[in-house]
Amino acid sequence: MSKENSNKVIHVKNVDVFYGNNHAIKDVTMDIEEKSVTAFIGPSGCGKSTLLRCLNRMNDEIVGCKTNGTIIWRDIDILSEEVDPVPLRRKAGMVFQKPNPFPKSIYDNIAYGSRIHGIRDKDKLDKIVEKSLMDAALFGEVGDRLEASAMSLSGGQQQRLCIARTLAIKPEIILMDEPCSALDPIATAKIEDLINTLKKKYTVVIVTHNMQQAARISDYTGFFYLGELIEFGKTKQIFENPKEELTENYMTGRFG
Amino acid sequence: MVKKFHKELKELNKDVIKMGVLAKEMLQKSVESLIDLNIEKAEWVLSKKGTIANMDDIIEERTLRLITLYQPMASDMREIACILKMITYLNRIGRYSKDIAKLVGDWGEKRHVKKLISIPHMSDLVCGMLDDAMKAFETKDISKFFDFSDRDDTIDELRYSIFRECLSYMMENPKVITRCTNYIMIARYLERCADHSCKIAEKIYYMVKGVRVEIDHSSETSKFSLKDRFND
Repeated sequence: MSKENSNKVIHVKNVDVFYGNNHAIKDVTMDIEEKSVTAFIGPSGCGKSTLLRCLNRMNDEIVGCKTNGTIIWRDIDILSEEVDPVPLRRKAGMVFQKPNPFPKSIYDNIAYGSRIHGIRDKDKLDKIVEKSLMDAALFGEVGDRLEASAMSLSGGQQQRLCIARTLAIKPEIILMDEPCSALDPIATAKIEDLINTLKKKYTVVIVTHNMQQAARISDYTGFFYLGELIEFGKTKQIFENPKEELTENYMTGRFG
Repeated sequence: MVKKFHKELKELNKDVIKMGVLAKEMLQKSVESLIDLNIEKAEWVLSKKGTIANMDDIIEERTLRLITLYQPMASDMREIACILKMITYLNRIGRYSKDIAKLVGDWGEKRHVKKLISIPHMSDLVCGMLDDAMKAFETKDISKFFDFSDRDDTIDELRYSIFRECLSYMMENPKVITRCTNYIMIARYLERCADHSCKIAEKIYYMVKGVRVEIDHSSETSKFSLKDRFND
């Protein structure tokens, strides 16, 4: 990995996370590159989602969760208590495993965030909605029925709607927690294509259980096991020739 | 599911080894048939051409099936990639053996221009390389590859010396032209078999170490010289 050419924006340093007495993340240090896709892989309960949620402080919402260490982004330690998590979450949007559209129209789903942030101008909102849907590769499918309920969309469309909703508030980072695990292969392929397009403008961090998916879409991959970051590097190297025996064993299914 | 995959991969591995044994046997027998112009041995080699081609097809099919069903990664992926390439090279060696046997079958005058020395020697060297490569595949021990480029060099030199020798015979006596051209061709086939053995070794090196190397004696043309890796 040539350090000169890379553009690391998020610096995770010695991060520990505890859920009560459970030490969920152990001293994780990694640098995440701007405008690229970073994938976290590992068996269930290895801490990959927990680390993802540190990146927009979603863990704050969990009672008894304590986080130590620093995550430097744009010279600010986002874990510091002085940082307000609300604007942070605007900059670091999140997409979840199960599509979670609001029980409203497609239009309102996307305009929701912008309205909260005080945009009332109809033309402006129209533009935001159209652009977000375009960027999420959904406009072609729903452009003629924006007033329809979001709940009437298919699972894959709902997930792209959630991505569009995230894009509407102009984030810089998009965090995805297993965004395809509830989708069929075609919808998954569409999301993967979308992720490939998104990385031109956004920094994407994705948690996935599907190793092939991580291999297909990511530029960097981190392998987690029992809360530790075992190996982190370029995806090609991790999947072709992992350096750590644990990674190798996990990839070849020789675990345990 | 994973257990089944590893079981199938192991079986595939065994069949590749069997294919390697057959390729070597075909090469050995083809040269033996040449030494004493033994038509029976030559015919045995000819009869195995279909067998080795079938093995190539069947192993390839099974490899592709494993890739489709399990999408292997890391060392499993490298092993499958190695097998997929190896079987092509082994099949090529089988075909060159068949070509040699075919020449023996069509040998007009039932004797040699002179006692064969360089060709059997070349054949021994090639079989030695193929043998070492197949052993490395089986045991994942790549230490025998360190002198492969030297051995390949020796084989190239032998081929040139056979060529020069035959040239002088042909100039002395045009009656030997057919046989001498055959010797030159056979030397060329053996040299190609050595190249294929080197390619097999390169793939095995990748399988074991995850690094691509090239067995090439000249550092100017070699991108990732294997020799440098052993010298490090």
